[in-house]
Amino acid sequence: MPDENTTPVAVEADKVSFSYERLKALDELSLQVPKGTSFGLLGPNGAGKTTLIRVLVGLLKPKRGSVRILGQPLSRKTAHLLGYMPQLHSLYTELTVAQNVEFFARIYGMGKDAPKRVEETVRLVDMWPRRNDAVQKLSGGMRQRVSLACAMVHNPPLLFLDEPTVGLDPELRVSFWQYFHELTRQGTTIVISSHTMDDAAHCDRLAFMRDGKVIAIGSPNDLKHATGCRDATLEDAFLHFVRRGRGENG
Amino acid sequence: MASPALVVAARIFRQLTRDRRTMALIFIVPLVVMTLIGLSFPDTGVLQYIAPALIATLALFFSFLLTGISFLRERSQGTLERLMASPVSPSDIVVGYLGGFFIFALVQTLIILLYTIYVLDVSYRGDLWQIFVFQVVVIIGAVNLGIFISTFARNEFQMVQFIPLIIIPQIFLSGVIWPVEQMPDYLQWLAHALPLTYAVRGLRDIMLSGQSLIDVWLELAVMVGFAVIVSVLAAVTLRRSA
Repeated sequence: MPDENTTPVAVEADKVSFSYERLKALDELSLQVPKGTSFGLLGPNGAGKTTLIRVLVGLLKPKRGSVRILGQPLSRKTAHLLGYMPQLHSLYTELTVAQNVEFFARIYGMGKDAPKRVEETVRLVDMWPRRNDAVQKLSGGMRQRVSLACAMVHNPPLLFLDEPTVGLDPELRVSFWQYFHELTRQGTTIVISSHTMDDAAHCDRLAFMRDGKVIAIGSPNDLKHATGCRDATLEDAFLHFVRRGRGENG
Repeated sequence: MASPALVVAARIFRQLTRDRRTMALIFIVPLVVMTLIGLSFPDTGVLQYIAPALIATLALFFSFLLTGISFLRERSQGTLERLMASPVSPSDIVVGYLGGFFIFALVQTLIILLYTIYVLDVSYRGDLWQIFVFQVVVIIGAVNLGIFISTFARNEFQMVQFIPLIIIPQIFLSGVIWPVEQMPDYLQWLAHALPLTYAVRGLRDIMLSGQSLIDVWLELAVMVGFAVIVSVLAAVTLRRSA
């Protein structure tokens, strides 16, 4: 069995199915995320992006299929390899920025290194000047930054970010992406869900999702080229694969 | 490196102490309630009989409410989801919550107990420390009951609806107001299935009859068993509710 250092694949989902009662949210979905890449899950609302991320971080147990994280079956032991930023800000609003980040550092077992790493992370998301402010006093964009800091304070090799750029102003969105690229250069794998083509263009690889299935997978350029049109955008590419899927089905 | 449960408990302590209004209410509410009770029972004989039951009931009620609502917030804010994706186990979360809220529930219980004895002048025959130990067991059960029941609520409104369902029947059926023995047989059966019945009986035996914890071993054992069962149920249902 490959260990977390030797496997070239960070995330492997094999024929994963999940249903909320009668609603099929994931339908025999398979994908592989190469290590050290930014991997976008792109699709409209209800495509199954959040459900897939919740399955991949172990919050939901798939009804069928399997998930491997850095070569290991998903378990509580693999949880320390992951950083998770949910769609909600998911912060303790009475606590300060630094207290929130420190809490998650300690939850992930950081002992003496915690204060140093908290400072590094809070500085990275540009919240150091507001470190002693209660989260309830912060704007949505600032909370988003604190939420990101909480997800990565323990320096995980794999980050799952559910719609991390929603509600961010364009300047902040650019700085988020600069930071994500820096992380992947350092070897971190990032799985990002989004429904905006702007985010998609920043990813190394993309999975187009619809109705709980992956309808196409590849680099943004590959997906655009697959349309056969030289000036195709990612939006064109998405629509191309949606239509192709319909054609094949019916 | 601190245990995850300790980290969770410390976070809850920090979170509550930063909220000045909540802190003020934690202290003021038991004082107001006990003052009202004192004024409502000018006959000390009645108060003498009812005081141990009220101490147990209020401890159950306040601890249940404080923990239930707080835990529900953890879920609705999404922080529970974040915790559940971390290496922390559900039992660590339950133990951490118990540790964090125990201190505040204990403060409230101490206020109620000391107010009853020293302000309302209710005399007691048993040892104060034995009354206190028994109350600690009641609180542990109530805190975990709050966590467990909050699993079934999706918002604060629903959580509050559980009070008439979980707490009020116990007040009427557990011998708080009138003795269980005077109730119809089928209600007596029901009363013996309720933890507050044993809490009330145990505290009355210690406070009014001067019995020891060893004398009330059955009531103590039932309360310990109740605390263990709701703790396990809280941990088991946590994953489902994240």
